[in-house]
Amino acid sequence: MTGPLDSEGLAETPRGLARLSRNTGMRLALIQVVIVILAFTLAGYLAQAAISRLDRDIMREHVRGEIASLRDEVIQKGRPHLPYTVAKRTRLWRGFDYRLVRADGTLEAGRLPEPSEMGWTELAGVPSRTDDASLHRFLVFTERLADGSRLSVGQDLSIAAGQMWAVNQVLFLCGALGAAFCLAASFAFNIQAWRRIAQVARSARLVSAGRLDVRTPVRPSRTPDDLDELALAFNGMLDRIGALIDQLRQVTTDIAHDMRTPLTRLRHKIERLRGTLDPDSSQALAVARLDDDVGEILRTFDALLQLSEISRQDRPDAVMDLAGAALHVAEAFRPDIEASGRRLDVACVPAPAAADPALIAQVCANLLENALRHTPVGARIRLETSAGESGSRLRIADDGPGVPAEAREAAIKPFVRLEASRTTKGSGLGLSIVAAIARRSGARMMLGDAEPGLVVDLVFPPPGAAADA
Amino acid sequence: MTEPAASAARAPLPLRVLVIEDERETAEHMREALVAAGCLADLAEDGPTGLDQALTGAFDVLIVDRMIPGLDGLSVVARPRAAGVQTPILFVTSMGAVADRVDGLHAGGDDYLVKPFSFAELNARVAALARRSPAPLRERTLLHCADLTLDRLERAAARDGQPVALLPLEYKLLEYLMLNAGQVVTRAMLLEKVWGFHFDPRTNIVETHLSRLRAKIDPAGAPSLIATVRGEGYVIRPPAT
Repeated sequence: MTGPLDSEGLAETPRGLARLSRNTGMRLALIQVVIVILAFTLAGYLAQAAISRLDRDIMREHVRGEIASLRDEVIQKGRPHLPYTVAKRTRLWRGFDYRLVRADGTLEAGRLPEPSEMGWTELAGVPSRTDDASLHRFLVFTERLADGSRLSVGQDLSIAAGQMWAVNQVLFLCGALGAAFCLAASFAFNIQAWRRIAQVARSARLVSAGRLDVRTPVRPSRTPDDLDELALAFNGMLDRIGALIDQLRQVTTDIAHDMRTPLTRLRHKIERLRGTLDPDSSQALAVARLDDDVGEILRTFDALLQLSEISRQDRPDAVMDLAGAALHVAEAFRPDIEASGRRLDVACVPAPAAADPALIAQVCANLLENALRHTPVGARIRLETSAGESGSRLRIADDGPGVPAEAREAAIKPFVRLEASRTTKGSGLGLSIVAAIARRSGARMMLGDAEPGLVVDLVFPPPGAAADA
Repeated sequence: MTEPAASAARAPLPLRVLVIEDERETAEHMREALVAAGCLADLAEDGPTGLDQALTGAFDVLIVDRMIPGLDGLSVVARPRAAGVQTPILFVTSMGAVADRVDGLHAGGDDYLVKPFSFAELNARVAALARRSPAPLRERTLLHCADLTLDRLERAAARDGQPVALLPLEYKLLEYLMLNAGQVVTRAMLLEKVWGFHFDPRTNIVETHLSRLRAKIDPAGAPSLIATVRGEGYVIRPPAT
């Protein structure tokens, strides 16, 4: 199966989120949001780096201060008193943890783990606060005292991490607010523009559905903005199209009247001439051929007129059952199809659609005749109707030679016949008329591959759906 | 099977027909054709004149062009109907769209003929419309043609007393032919009245269905009750002996 060849575009209205994401203003807002989030992430990262460097510096100052204070204790009270001072400070907990080891390696006071080297290191250990038993990271400074023992003083890094977390929270909150503000601002700014663009799009759809009187509303007063200019230009275009179509209809009606009258006379003259001739004479035969030719001209002429008349829809069609019309036509054609050595299979379930029953009958007739004309003897022709969520479907398929994919679009254009020669009967308007009727009823017409053969689908919008399009 | 001559207007009294048509040559041709078929034809070239004549009720059939000067064809029809004149009306027009057809029939037209048409078509339609006038014929429940009977209450056909089984469409076809027994009905009339098709199929579905119907109602070897009139249409009548 291939894609639609002849779509009204009425069913193409996107809904919900998909529609929102296709909106230009919305896209801009989303891009802004992404930029805001990126900016805040970068700011957060840089702030974290700066704060953590600052924190380390301050911590080192504190640790050095504590070391200096302990050294002072040694000078004031003597080295033997140091373990008591350390134990006391550990117990009272002023934000530091300690480790005091004699030169022989025995632990004198404190609970920091063994540092691997002298100077600044980072260690994992249990802080001396009694309410916390989990491992924390410490920034530790270790130095050798005069008697060869080692003193380590460390500060818990998680205090700084807590600060960082608070900063992150604030940054995250600001980022979210910024993003929300972006969305709200662009929504407030764009909502009017969206509404007005939607009005233009809606008018365009209605007009393409045949409502030529529809115009896009233009705001009165004030200086016109770009959207007003768009609406004005659009309405101007519609006025022009409306005038052209009216003109075309007028010309069509005039041609119909002006040409049918002389053609009527011509036909009548031929008929009278025929009446004066001996039916078996060669002149009578020639006149009969003349009459056939006039008949052929009239058929093409009628089909062309019909093409323009079909698209003119003065009143909405009532809902009918495609199956009823299809069955009726199928039974009318069955004897002919079967007498020609082909088979006709009919599978019709009730399929409601808003359409003109006489035109649906013609659709079925044209497509059945088409199938009859373009398939070899022994072919199977299927006529089906079905109803689904997306609308009712009328399908006529055969297992003949089919139509190559690249020729399908051309096949529904007026006067196109796919045989290389134009000697076969038929105006070449059959499929065009079907396409015009489909367009009139808002149906999509699709030509596809029946593997093998041609399948023609007409999908009608669900009754009622066309009304709000 | 075929007969050369037209067979319209077998009624003892000639049909009186009023043609309201502004195009003189077409009107003259129509009158000639109607006269040749045995009718009395009057012409009116504009709406007001035609209206006055139509209101006399002196005609069996009115033939009205839908686009004539003075009045539009639809009003020419609406007025007599409003005045209680029931003369059957045949619209002749160059407009063939379905909507126009519906308009015409709503306004009180009984049939609709799109230009250009053949005289055979015109005569057949006029004859069919004229047969509407004696109402009892339309309401007859039992139709005859030779030894073929059609019971419209039972929707059953019998030939020489033997029941003939017909499909619904074949019944409809036979009923229409028998309601117009002795009158030529054209292919277009059958397509419109029996099938409801207002287009002209390229395939000869009428001929095919008639062959099937003939095979059912005619005894083997006997001449058919349904004759083909070349260039005109079909007629059901007792075979000429």
